[in-house]
Amino acid sequence: MSEQLKITCSGCSLLCDDIIIIKDDKEIKEILGACQKGINKFNQIKSKNRILSPLYKDKGGLKVLEWDLALNKAIQIIKNAKKPLIYGLSTISCESQILALKIAKKIDAFIDSNSTICQGKFLNIASEMGITTTTLTEIINKSDLIILWGTNIVESIPRLFSKILFSRGKFRMTGREIKNLIIVDIYKTASFKVMGTRDLAIIIRPNEDIELIKILKKAVKGDYTFPNEGISGIDKQDLERFKTFLLNSEHITILPGQALLNQKTNGDAIKELLELVNLLNNIKNNGRISLLMVGGHYNMVGFEHMALSETGKNQSIQFKNGESIKSDDNIISKIQKEDFDLSIIIGTDPISHFPLEISKILSSKPIILIDNKKSGTFLIATLILPTSITGIENKGLAFRLDHVPIQLKKIIEPPSLIQSDYELLQKILDRLNK
Amino acid sequence: MEMILNTIRLINNDQNVEWNCQDVEFMEEHLAIGFINPLDFKKLYLVPSLKLHISNNHGDVIVNFKQDSKIPEGIILMPVSLWANQVTYVKNNNIIYKNIKVNVEGTRDPPTKLNELIEKIKSDKI
Repeated sequence: MSEQLKITCSGCSLLCDDIIIIKDDKEIKEILGACQKGINKFNQIKSKNRILSPLYKDKGGLKVLEWDLALNKAIQIIKNAKKPLIYGLSTISCESQILALKIAKKIDAFIDSNSTICQGKFLNIASEMGITTTTLTEIINKSDLIILWGTNIVESIPRLFSKILFSRGKFRMTGREIKNLIIVDIYKTASFKVMGTRDLAIIIRPNEDIELIKILKKAVKGDYTFPNEGISGIDKQDLERFKTFLLNSEHITILPGQALLNQKTNGDAIKELLELVNLLNNIKNNGRISLLMVGGHYNMVGFEHMALSETGKNQSIQFKNGESIKSDDNIISKIQKEDFDLSIIIGTDPISHFPLEISKILSSKPIILIDNKKSGTFLIATLILPTSITGIENKGLAFRLDHVPIQLKKIIEPPSLIQSDYELLQKILDRLNK
Repeated sequence: MEMILNTIRLINNDQNVEWNCQDVEFMEEHLAIGFINPLDFKKLYLVPSLKLHISNNHGDVIVNFKQDSKIPEGIILMPVSLWANQVTYVKNNNIIYKNIKVNVEGTRDPPTKLNELIEKIKSDKI
């Protein structure tokens, strides 16, 4: 018999909690309200690239293993390693992340999440300077200016605009009519298509964002006139409008993207932006200016919280003798220095994200991959342990991009003999503890 | 010709989607691709049947291309993927995904295949 359920989608970090599905005992028949990314997540259930049994690579290629043998193999590989890495963890539940941290502690591993090459850079700098953050609800209710800076939200978190820009809020009853939008990017991305006549499109020359932020800092203090020729390819008139928007809007939310994280002077653009935010918050008598990080993986934020609560550090944690110790490394430096002899990759695909030079080093040591689908990393992994899909085939806690915890439900049963990340990691930990 | 390469996320050229459900050929079509301004198309003396050879000190790759007048002159955009990874690099422990200097030229050679990229990763073990 069919039933209708309202569920939360784990297709991206927005964790949309208004998705309707129609299902029977065995499968999902219909999905209503999900975006292209969300639909893709549900398509994973029956994807031909789904991994449905443990696999081990030997001289003859990939061989299917029984679960007990596969787990024994995993334990043998882990016990042989002296400097293991654990990486990924952004597409598993918080409960599983805690288990991964426990395993890292048990085996004296270096553990890091995808955040270290994404929004984590922002948080690391913010931990020294402070940061004003916000929630989706606050943006919906209060924001009158939203600034996308180097991020193409329409294609990376497709429903975010429908939630924060086109929605009506407690103090923004007319919705889009009273919410202005500024987009700063090097070209007109798909996100520019939602812009109206009042909005401000800033096309900036590549790698010059930091100059714009510095000029805006001077301008909002009131003691600066923009040069007649503009700066960084931006007209003087647009710079004046940008300044007016910043000074006259009440609640401003900035969504910074990878373009800001990848400036020529590493990290400086982030520092400058945080300083601009602090400056405006000091100048403004009413309202507030805040940042909303827009990492893509559905539980990237969760790992920051779990790691912080378990170890006092939000990422890049080195364990030694069962304790977390000071380390200036991140996953990239550990691989680059070849300071590892095993990598345990959980729910991610570094081979498809890392530069060739790093992937080569990573592939030169054994890799245990824990994931539900094939990937670049699958093609070079030594041992592959499949799992179910969190938010569809098993439940778990995740943190939305605005750091709000959301419970994900189990909707259908996983394929035969496929267990959740949590169950699998618990078995590994139990066997390591024996 | 020297150009600046930026990797981007596009919903119709998303490696996560491609790995999830599609065939290797479909993946190669959607991820082995660069987007350039039509004026750069002319400067590079391209014709639609040619492909782009993109190279720098870190590696090289051959991809299909599409013209898009929204893209600024001198810029080439590529979806984040194994193909773009051939020219991305590490600086100060961070992966550089944006503003990468590359040399771009037309070629009659076919786009780099997925298995060639994987072999490159596997065969040159350090």
